[in-house]
Amino acid sequence: MYILKNSLVSIIRNKGRNILIGIIILVIACASTVTLAIRNTASTLVKNYEEAHDIIATISFNRKELASNFKGGEDAKKENIETFNNIESITLENVKNYGQSEYLKGYYYTYSTSLNSDTITKATDTYEYEVEDRQTTTNSTTTTTGGNGGNQGRGPGGGERHTVTNNETTTVITKSKEKFESSKNLTGDFQLDGYSSYDAMTDFVQGNYKVTDGEMISNFDTFECVVSSELATLNEITVGSTITLKNPNTETTYDFTVTGIYTDNQESDDSNSMFSKSANTIITGSGIIEKLVQEDSTLVTNITPSFIVNDENAIEDFSNQLKEKGLNEYYTINTNLDELKNATKSIENVKTFATTFLIITLIISAIVLLVINMINIRERKYEIGVFRTIGMSKLKLAIQFILELLIVSAVMLCIGAILGSYLSKPIGNMLLQNEIDSSQMQEEEISDNFGKGRTNGNEP
Amino acid sequence: MGILKLENVGYRYKDAPKDKYVFQNINYEFEQGKMYAIKGKSGSGKTTLLSLITGLERCTEGNVIYNGKDLKKMNLDKYRNTDIGVVFQSYNLLPRLTAIENIILSMDISKVKVKNKKQKALELMKNVGLSEEHAKRKILKLSGGEQQRIAIARSLSYNPNIIIADEPTGNLDKDTENEILKIFAHLAKDENKCIVIVTHSQNVCDNVDIIYELNKTE
Repeated sequence: MYILKNSLVSIIRNKGRNILIGIIILVIACASTVTLAIRNTASTLVKNYEEAHDIIATISFNRKELASNFKGGEDAKKENIETFNNIESITLENVKNYGQSEYLKGYYYTYSTSLNSDTITKATDTYEYEVEDRQTTTNSTTTTTGGNGGNQGRGPGGGERHTVTNNETTTVITKSKEKFESSKNLTGDFQLDGYSSYDAMTDFVQGNYKVTDGEMISNFDTFECVVSSELATLNEITVGSTITLKNPNTETTYDFTVTGIYTDNQESDDSNSMFSKSANTIITGSGIIEKLVQEDSTLVTNITPSFIVNDENAIEDFSNQLKEKGLNEYYTINTNLDELKNATKSIENVKTFATTFLIITLIISAIVLLVINMINIRERKYEIGVFRTIGMSKLKLAIQFILELLIVSAVMLCIGAILGSYLSKPIGNMLLQNEIDSSQMQEEEISDNFGKGRTNGNEP
Repeated sequence: MGILKLENVGYRYKDAPKDKYVFQNINYEFEQGKMYAIKGKSGSGKTTLLSLITGLERCTEGNVIYNGKDLKKMNLDKYRNTDIGVVFQSYNLLPRLTAIENIILSMDISKVKVKNKKQKALELMKNVGLSEEHAKRKILKLSGGEQQRIAIARSLSYNPNIIIADEPTGNLDKDTENEILKIFAHLAKDENKCIVIVTHSQNVCDNVDIIYELNKTE
């Protein structure tokens, strides 16, 4: 007990020495708290980013691998194409099979097909119009009606023939359709992109597309859709309208309710078309495409799966597992890992700097404290001598000196930690404000891109 | 039988040649109730001998026997805070403490069982001629004589059998020296203490019972 009492008396009556030690400890505590707070904030930001941005593995066609097997010569062309045709496309069943993996958190996919429509016009820079050709002859009494085969009024050069009987003259009217198109034609019909989840809608997540009117589909299995603003303008489609699409094979029609209209924000693409590539793309749920395929298995589809991998270490295992499950050698697994790492690189740099700064501060402070204490002990040699003379053991003497240092340290560490916690917020904000802002803005933007339709969960 | 005996004691510094002793073959005996003086010229090893008696140093040869026990086999911290009191020429008091705090600290270290340490400390101060007013003063606010009285009071705080004093009056004037010697005489005669004073003062030697002279080893 007297050791503690003596330590307290010594601290109080040796103000100069203890204030000096206290200031150093205060600075250490303050700097350490600030540095730790910055480090923790950076860690939280990285963690939040990693939580918000999963490692996504996608399957892509390995064209390089295929090209390495190409053969030369005129006859080889057919063989090369056959090789290409023999590579099996990935089916929905494959994706569901691949998705059942212990290395995955989940998966989603975009299931696409194309449909026609009689009720809406696709956005295209081809313009077809009907022309009438009248030929009048005299002394003719009868003419035969009928067109030229299957091209009844549809293709260029096709048309309907009517016979007009005139007692004196016969007028032959030939109706045909002529085409006026840009030099770079847009091909295809309406592409129906069926998404299995909101995460699958990467163009909306990344801000390439944005719902500008109405909202995103709220159900992935009902006949709801979101159309492009270009298609909406051309066909005077509004939110709540119904559009009818037709299976090109079976002529079966499907009515879709338009829940929203989206705009393609990409400034340019690589085509010379007057419309964007997405103009004829209609967004719906993957369940709809599955229904269409169930009704007509010959419908041409395309599936783009995305697999949410557990962590960095699971990528290789998952890749090997897909090969074991029979993924063709011409397909390769790609991930967004580099992209994710690049995104958090600046925060990681701040974190590394903070850690390094903390270590250096602690080392320097430890050396300074050691030196001060060595000087302190030298200065107190007389005092030590007196204590030893009156019978104080070395152990008790050491305890008293350590206790003095601990008391000063504890008090100053508390003050330093409180002070540091006040300072850490503005300093942390100053260093990491851009990252915090961009993180918050990104969340808001994603939500905005989906209109009001997106809920917090992935599934509606 | 003496309470403290030096048997063939010799001392040599650790880094000194093997035959270079500060002193050798010292055979002194000290009894309770008597005052002793150890005198000698400067460099004769008086303070070193005192360090051996107080257990601050270990002798190179021979034995220091306290109450029949060899110091080498004793807990020297306990020996110093229970059995022997030391008074120095430079007082060796803690300047950051007050006079009374120095005495109470000594009692704390020795773990002496005293109900009211402050009261006991004041009594000891009174015995060496100091008032309550002196008790509250910091050490550096006291005169040399007063500081030496505090040092004596401190050495008595745990009631040791032996008091060793190293040039206790070396920094004091004649009158004060006589007052201090009176205190020591009182402690020896009335309180049965063994007082050993290291000195080269003739006045001190004139007031003690036995004088040991330490000669420089050639």
